[in-house]
Amino acid sequence: MVSIRIRGLVKRFGDVVALDHLDLNIESGELFFLLGPSGCGKTTLLRSIAGFHIPEEGEITFDRQDVTKVPPHKRETAMMFQSYALWPHLNVFKNVAFGLEERRVRKPEIKRRVEGALAMVKMEGLGNRKINELSGGQQQRVALARALVVRPRCLMLDEPLSNLDAKLRIEMRSEIRRICKDFGLTAIYVTHDQKEALSMADRMAILDEGKIIQVGTPEEVYRQPRSTLVAGFVGETNLIPGTIEFKSDDHIYVSTALGDIAGECADPEWSPEQNEKVVLSIRPECLSIHAEKPVQNALKGYLKESIYLGETAQYSLMAEGLSQLIHISELNPRRVIREKNEPFYVTASPEDVVILPAP
Amino acid sequence: MSRRLSILIYGITAVFFALFFAYPIAHTVKEAFVGANGKFTIEYLVELFQNPIYVEGLINSFYMGLFTTILALVIALPLALLSNRWQFPGKSILNSLILVPLILPPFVGALGVRQFLGQAGVLNSFLIDLGLMQADAPFDWLGEGRLFGVVIMNALHLYPIAYLNISAALANLDPAMDEAAENLGCHGIRRLFRVTFPLIMPGMFAGATIIFIWSFTELGVPLIFDFSRVTSVQIFEGIKDLSGNPFPYALVVVMLVATVLFYLIGKALFGRENMASSGRASTGRVLQKASPLAATICIGAFSLVTGIAVLPHIGVILLSLSNDWYQTILPTALTGQHYTDALGHPLTLNSIGNSLKYASLATGLDLVLGIAVAYVVVRTKLPGRQFLDAMAMLPLAVPGLVLAFGYLAMTREGQPFDFLILGENPIVILVIAYSIRRLPYVVRSAAAGFQQTSVSLEEAAQNLGSHPIKALGKVTLPLITANLIAGGLLAFSFAMLEVSDSLILAEQQQHFPITKAIYALISSLGTGPNLASALGVWAMVFLAVTIVGAGLILGRKLGALFRV
Repeated sequence: MVSIRIRGLVKRFGDVVALDHLDLNIESGELFFLLGPSGCGKTTLLRSIAGFHIPEEGEITFDRQDVTKVPPHKRETAMMFQSYALWPHLNVFKNVAFGLEERRVRKPEIKRRVEGALAMVKMEGLGNRKINELSGGQQQRVALARALVVRPRCLMLDEPLSNLDAKLRIEMRSEIRRICKDFGLTAIYVTHDQKEALSMADRMAILDEGKIIQVGTPEEVYRQPRSTLVAGFVGETNLIPGTIEFKSDDHIYVSTALGDIAGECADPEWSPEQNEKVVLSIRPECLSIHAEKPVQNALKGYLKESIYLGETAQYSLMAEGLSQLIHISELNPRRVIREKNEPFYVTASPEDVVILPAP
Repeated sequence: MSRRLSILIYGITAVFFALFFAYPIAHTVKEAFVGANGKFTIEYLVELFQNPIYVEGLINSFYMGLFTTILALVIALPLALLSNRWQFPGKSILNSLILVPLILPPFVGALGVRQFLGQAGVLNSFLIDLGLMQADAPFDWLGEGRLFGVVIMNALHLYPIAYLNISAALANLDPAMDEAAENLGCHGIRRLFRVTFPLIMPGMFAGATIIFIWSFTELGVPLIFDFSRVTSVQIFEGIKDLSGNPFPYALVVVMLVATVLFYLIGKALFGRENMASSGRASTGRVLQKASPLAATICIGAFSLVTGIAVLPHIGVILLSLSNDWYQTILPTALTGQHYTDALGHPLTLNSIGNSLKYASLATGLDLVLGIAVAYVVVRTKLPGRQFLDAMAMLPLAVPGLVLAFGYLAMTREGQPFDFLILGENPIVILVIAYSIRRLPYVVRSAAAGFQQTSVSLEEAAQNLGSHPIKALGKVTLPLITANLIAGGLLAFSFAMLEVSDSLILAEQQQHFPITKAIYALISSLGTGPNLASALGVWAMVFLAVTIVGAGLILGRKLGALFRV
């Protein structure tokens, strides 16, 4: 399996800069996710790695071999397309065998490997089916088998689950991860579904406007976002503007419209000065509601809305001095609070308050 | 629209088709199988297959269809592939120009081909001038059988249909299908054959079918080439003594059966269900900007094909301007006399008026029927509406010659429909014949319009108090005007150029449409061919304007008009 290095990649479509001097390392055997809003350049990046786009600047190397100008059919990657791109004029077996035929593998070997691949995706015995006789989930499995059977240097998945229904999607998540890990594959996976990324990735990169804005493990990206953009895109969060009050040994205190709040910096390389403008990110599930004023990080607000969702209850609070509502998510709610316009206190542990540079 | 009205439209269309589509065919078939004693017989068919002249005609017709189809595909396929891949300067205009030959009347162009390739023609004169050929032993390019010239003229006329169909199929192809092949190591020509061609086969087949049917039964071109040993011409000749002669009927039946048979065989071999559009495309197809070399190749290929295809008609223009053009490369003396003569000739002016009258009436009828049928098919859930749709498209698949012959047979004296010939004036039957044959174009364009226009727009008007029919007229029809104009223009152009119906059904000189007038002029002596050319040029100029207009309005969707 290859490790992939990308240096200074630039791709333009007319006047639009799709990739803007992008750098990225993907390690061998890693299940790596590209996550970002639509139009952020994640698919362009994937297609550049597969060779479908030739970048204007920069280079891509597979294990130190420069592949920037190598055409797609010589890169030995295998892509699973969003539309699956299964050829309807060939049956399931022929679709899966296609890449092996191109690699001049001998007939008996092809048969053995195709059957193995179909078994791996739980499609054994369905080789004679036509593509349009398959359900969406089955097509997805065939597309995966077709990509895996050639033992690619790198597996690429372009929103492979976006055409499936919710239940099947969750089932296939662990399935794809299991297969990638069993083979020790280097895999790059594009998605805009953060749950998919958080639940499957070894590491992930968040893209915005053709740039990578953060790389890290799912925990790092979720718990320690480096910017308001990442905090807002991965999961939900409350963003509260403020200025640095003072720093103690344990925490940094930030003065906000809601009073002083203690938090921590996520980025070890960034240390804000006193009076610097910052933004606090507090996840809804980090906040808890109290009737009495807590000792630390106490925010006061009036209940505007409560929604009961079974495993959680969601509250929206209007706080004095803040233009937006504060969202709180309570796990395992024993009693849903419904007293509208009553004052409540909410608090969050300083470890859960992330201090970010003001955008 | 109310259910009752839908059923009424359904009923009217069905009766119209029963009377003027099913009946003429059935009548012809009946005549072919009923002996002099009024009993069923296959004697005529047996006799027909024992007559070497008729058998030779059928074989030649088959070759005419097959070679024309192959040649048209060979011309169109590379062009469609180039156009689907590259963006090059002047593409949109070249893309329109490539379609122009479709509306240039081929049997007029045949005059030009004769002028170029005939024994005393341009090519031989050129070769003699170069000293490559003996002046006293000119080579006969068109050959004894004349098949060569006919096939070239037909292919140069019909390749745009293949181009439109293949382009549409390529445009509908999910680019990921090709990319998946590249990704797995399959590249270039190999990819074309393993993935692209199999996937666009249904589109290619749809185009090839129409080309085959048109050329298999082509009447005008072989007539001009004096290529009498084809079934279409034999039927035409046989019309002169229709009473008591069963062979034209039998020939028509054989031709119809053969057409259906070829179609079914082809469908079984190539025309699997539309495969290209399974799944939704993950990426839009991005045209590559052509490198200077690729751009040169693209522009060169498009210009070359268009140039060759209009060459016969340039020959026609020169012929119409020439006083003397025999055994020389270019005409020796030019004159504008034929144009004024053409317009002064009683036959021509009259025929232009007739054609305008017939074609406008037929187009009007097409628009009314086409909108109604398209509405029922797209907007209602009436059971059997697919059948209505299939019926309206069927005239594309049935040779014009067969229908024309059927009309002639059913309006002969003593037949139940002879009242349609108003004292020898064929206007009613000609208008019906023209409109039935062109209805598919109008139905397709109107249906496309209805599909693109959300039904909720109409519902909003109804919701605000508009009667359904008024809502249709005030909201939807204005929105699909472009489609209707394009469909109507095509119907009109093809009606103006119609050959089989015009030659067969218009019998009196004062009722001749343009095509029959041209045919009559060609066969007359003296300046006849020059006058015919001048009249043909008038017609071509007129049609070029309309078709370019339709192309601009419909763009790529033009391809959808040529599918069964």
